[in-house]
Amino acid sequence: MASLPKRIIKETERLVTDPVPGITAEPHDDNLRYFKVTIEGPAGSPYEDGLFNLELYLPDDYPMEAPKVRFLTKIYHPNIDRLGRICLDILKTNWSPALQIRTVLLSVQALLASPNPNDPLANDVAEDWIKNEQGAKAKAKEWTALYAKK
Amino acid sequence: MTDSGTPKEDRKRFFKDELESSESQIPSLAERLDKSKSFLFGETTEPEDSGSSLFVPNQMDIVEFEKGFKEIMPDISDKMCKTLFEKFEGDAKPVASAVDYYFDHNKSLIKESKKDTEIIDLSDDSYDDQHSSSIIHSNHMNSDPPIHSDSHPKLTFQSLFSQKKDELKKRKAETTNERIAKRKKSSILWKKFLGSMQVTAMATRPTIRPLKYGSELKLHVTESKNLSPSKIYDSKGKRKLSMAQLVKLRDREQDREIGRIPEDIAQIVYPLIDESGVSFEVTLVYSGDKRLSIGDSFIIQLDCFLTSQLFEKEPVSSQSDSTSLKQSGWEISTNAISETQEEVANKYKRVGLLALFNKLRIKEVTDEAKVLESIDNSEPDIVDLEDDDTFESIVSENNNEQDINHSDTMDLNQLQNFYSIAQSLETLKNLPETTPSKDIMKLNLRRYQKQGLTWMLRREGEFSKAASSEEITPPDAMMNPLWKQFIWPNDMSWVSKRDSSVPKSSIENIFYYANLHTGEFSMEKPILVTSMKGGILSDEMGLGKTISTLSLILSAPRDSSSEGKNLFEKEPSEMSPSLTKNPQKPYASKTTLIVVPMSLLHQWHSEFEKSCSDKNLHAEIYYGGNVSNLKAHLTKSKNPPTVLITTYGIIQNEWTKLVKTSEPEIDLNSTTGLFSVSFYRIVLDEGHIIRNRQTITSKAVLQLTGKCKWVLTGTPIINRLDDMYSLVKFLNLEPWSQIGFWKQFVSIPFENKHFKEAFDVVNSILEPVFLRRTKSMKDVDGKPLVDLPPKEVVVERLQFNEDQDTVYKQLLNRAEDSVKLGLARGDLLKKYSTILVNILRLRQVCCDVRLLGSKDENDEDLSNNNIMLNGQLDINSLLTGNDNGTKTNDFTEEELAKTIKIIGEKYYPIEDSSSFECSICTTEPIALSAIIFTECEHAFCKGCLIEYCDYQHMKNLDMKCPLCRHEISKDRLLALKKKEDGSYELCHFNTKSRSSKIVALANHLQQLQDSSPSEQVVVFSQFSSYLDILDNELGEIFSSKSTKIYKFDGRLSLKDRSSVLKDFQIKIPGVQKILLLSLKAGGVGLNLTSASYAFMMDPWWSPSMEDQAIDRIHRIGQKKNVKVTRFIMENSIEEKMLQIQERKRTIGEAMDADEDDRRKRRIDEIKMLFE
Repeated sequence: MASLPKRIIKETERLVTDPVPGITAEPHDDNLRYFKVTIEGPAGSPYEDGLFNLELYLPDDYPMEAPKVRFLTKIYHPNIDRLGRICLDILKTNWSPALQIRTVLLSVQALLASPNPNDPLANDVAEDWIKNEQGAKAKAKEWTALYAKK
Repeated sequence: MTDSGTPKEDRKRFFKDELESSESQIPSLAERLDKSKSFLFGETTEPEDSGSSLFVPNQMDIVEFEKGFKEIMPDISDKMCKTLFEKFEGDAKPVASAVDYYFDHNKSLIKESKKDTEIIDLSDDSYDDQHSSSIIHSNHMNSDPPIHSDSHPKLTFQSLFSQKKDELKKRKAETTNERIAKRKKSSILWKKFLGSMQVTAMATRPTIRPLKYGSELKLHVTESKNLSPSKIYDSKGKRKLSMAQLVKLRDREQDREIGRIPEDIAQIVYPLIDESGVSFEVTLVYSGDKRLSIGDSFIIQLDCFLTSQLFEKEPVSSQSDSTSLKQSGWEISTNAISETQEEVANKYKRVGLLALFNKLRIKEVTDEAKVLESIDNSEPDIVDLEDDDTFESIVSENNNEQDINHSDTMDLNQLQNFYSIAQSLETLKNLPETTPSKDIMKLNLRRYQKQGLTWMLRREGEFSKAASSEEITPPDAMMNPLWKQFIWPNDMSWVSKRDSSVPKSSIENIFYYANLHTGEFSMEKPILVTSMKGGILSDEMGLGKTISTLSLILSAPRDSSSEGKNLFEKEPSEMSPSLTKNPQKPYASKTTLIVVPMSLLHQWHSEFEKSCSDKNLHAEIYYGGNVSNLKAHLTKSKNPPTVLITTYGIIQNEWTKLVKTSEPEIDLNSTTGLFSVSFYRIVLDEGHIIRNRQTITSKAVLQLTGKCKWVLTGTPIINRLDDMYSLVKFLNLEPWSQIGFWKQFVSIPFENKHFKEAFDVVNSILEPVFLRRTKSMKDVDGKPLVDLPPKEVVVERLQFNEDQDTVYKQLLNRAEDSVKLGLARGDLLKKYSTILVNILRLRQVCCDVRLLGSKDENDEDLSNNNIMLNGQLDINSLLTGNDNGTKTNDFTEEELAKTIKIIGEKYYPIEDSSSFECSICTTEPIALSAIIFTECEHAFCKGCLIEYCDYQHMKNLDMKCPLCRHEISKDRLLALKKKEDGSYELCHFNTKSRSSKIVALANHLQQLQDSSPSEQVVVFSQFSSYLDILDNELGEIFSSKSTKIYKFDGRLSLKDRSSVLKDFQIKIPGVQKILLLSLKAGGVGLNLTSASYAFMMDPWWSPSMEDQAIDRIHRIGQKKNVKVTRFIMENSIEEKMLQIQERKRTIGEAMDADEDDRRKRRIDEIKMLFE
């Protein structure tokens, strides 16, 4: 494997020394491009008090290519499907090499705070969210308590 | 004629026959004899009138007497014989009395006979006292059985001295032969049976009675041997005359012609009949039990013997043989030198011998032990040419053998064989190790280097200094490869059958040896003596030839013999011939001259300083003018340099001056330079440089004189076997340094595709003087000689950028057209240079479009053909010519000025804005030279943004500013340009020029810098103009703080070379050092082990050249894993070149026999390129 670009080392160091509140990201011992990530559910959202596990992988072409991020914890969210895949523009077409792991994770956290059912990934959840927002939020809260217990 | 004819009539008729048959004006042998007789007896009767009855009895008597006498005294001259006959004519036992008298009055008799017969002096004067004493000697040798001088001497003597009969015959021929034969004649002590063949002869005269089985015949040459070779052979060496007419069979008893032998046998026999070294005996085997008529065939057995004379050849004569061989060797190649008649005769004698050996199917003994084992059983068969079946089978057997040999020629990996034989010597492994003491050598040698030192010291005859194992090396007990070993067959000749009491020579010698090329024979094993000192050290690259050589120099820094200390030293006569040839040259006994390519000059010097711990020894570099009088400096001064290092160029320079100033004879005494002294030792580093002996450099180097000579080269053969010749010539390796020998035994067989033969000879030439070890070889304990860290070579395939793609396609079309045209017209060769130029351009585009138009310094085929290259190539026209409306969204002048103004105001003053961070690679701050601004006023690293643009382009995505997502374009970027006063100004950034390879290289370097910031990296290219481009581009991409770039190519001066290399080797923490190295200038010799990363920017035709380059870093001293990246453009000519490289690796480039083959191969390659 090609050696680790200086940028990745720099980012990793910063994530450890100057962590984002509510987010942790640790590189794997064997593969420094693979990160174990936890995100706290934002206050005021149905995911409050939940702790969500994610995985993040930096492909070889990073930073030209966006990192791959996926929820490991089950979550009820219109932009996150059952497999944990996330629908977020900056992870796809709107990726810019100026973005970093830190900014990506902040965006994911923001996505939890403000779901966007109009650009859904999990269609059933999105439908539910549009028809019955309260019910959906209750269900999300329920799932959080069930699966994302701190 | 009738059956009742008396002997008298027979005799008479014989004479007539004889006269009839001798059509030429030159008198025949018999005539001469008769003439002489007639003189003696005062008879004036001419042979034509031989019918007179008075003449006949006399004649009978003297013939009888002569015969009998000569059986005892084979060397007796005719005239002496006649003198004796006169004396004892009336005696009861004339022969016996004559013999007695001869022994008693030997000397006086000779004088007498000389005096008496002056008028009829037919024999030559060389029969002097010395000779007659040798005759006596020979008689004593054979006189063990007492001589019975009976009334029938003939019978007695015949059995006892039958072997002398041939000599008699031969002597007769010789004495009557008026050759200017001045060479010393010695008597025949013995003869040995060589082989027999049965031959069908044809009767040319009818016989009265059937010939008896077993009756003796003899071969007789009808024409006088005075017949000059030029009459027999025409200028092209073809026979003008039929040999069968010249060689006749005669009845021994009646001395009358009977028949003739077939032409093919006659051709073999004719040149050998009077050759004292070979004798024949003919016995009738079958004649059908009836009398012969003309045209009848009968079968004879031809027994062939070799006599002692053949084995007694003086070295002088063998040398003259070798000179004639030399000339004939020349003749083959030049057809210019005409040979003297005698040389022609000699040549055909050799040919005859060779043919005889073939005819007798005498086979070379290859396995001595096996033969000795089976010696009791071996029964050489008489070759029966009539037996068709056996003959066929033998022939077909031979053919099979040839087929096998022939199939060997198909094995194109002979070069590997050649090397492997040189290496496989078990003795090599068991060479003792010589460890130079710490007092003289600081460095520790590896095991194999110590062994090498032993070998080298031995080669120089310094046995006392070399460590010795139990067996002191025998002086190369190797048989001279030109000689072949044969076994004496059992005597199957008729002589031995006729009389079993003939003492058979005991088997004291089972074998004999013959050099069928020169006609030399020997009973002793011909040992190849190499008196030359030195050799070829051909260890594989990176095994430390330099260190080995230095250890030799330090172990034996001066010629100890010239100080009279060393007992092992040989006499001056055994010193190298060139030394004795120029005795007037002063001898620099304390100095070793080392000749190196320029790039290695300082490396040798520093290696010497590193390894030498004896303060009295020092090395000096000699380049032209720095020593005014080298002769005095080396021979007169108190402490001359132990090592004088110079370059091939300087030698060539000095030589050219010498040749120019002094003509025609070069007076070496008047000079004071390199050619004025004879060195103790001369070492040629990278000795293959002199492989072409036509170059001035080679000629000059060959003129250097020294006692010990060494050649160091990892690749002694570059293109053909003849490459070795210059090395052999330099080493004075006799006899191979004579071009004639080399041509005959190496070049010509090789050209005729007899690869095995040629390689065998080269092998045996080299075996004693050649040492080669490879990295993969194992020592006695089975450990590899060198334990190098692993080497990883990765081929990285890249894609063209837009511009490259456009230009490449254009050029490819052109090139393909010209090749197709050439192939169609069949004049591809004529278009060769055009095609090569086209190919070159394609290769250049693969590197960088800006390379177009520069020339390729490495391609020899093109170096003289620059007219083509100088034709300017308009890249822009190529680019735009195919430009079907792709929009260029370049800045307009206005837009550019506006953007510059905005950015310039935003970041003012720009030099102080030290806080630019590249959001892509997070570098902070970005070096000013590497900053690039987007239109939206954002700053990035040049490399990062370009990579981003290329990535987006590749993925067909929009290019947006990574920071603000404003649309950006590669054509609308700004960069900072350094002004002369050191400040920076904004300017338009042109990305067009950066080629894929440079981008890829920059990425690799960046990655490397990120992970390990203080690495040394070597970047190879064959285009020095490409190195310039790389220098610029990398300088722009990387900051000078973290990256230091060195450039090393042919244009660098000597002084700069050493300083560049020295600087590069020093590791500075946090600084990446990049050495841009020209494949040609730096491909050989350099030691760059401080670097462990290498990038090959472009492929070269020959893989070995690239291997050489890689070995600059992958060699002894390298401690880290070596990583090599080779950049290859995808779907381009470079990929084809890789294929060609593969091909070359498998078939071995060295197998090209000549220039033509090489060209043809390259045409194949060209076809391959455009498939």
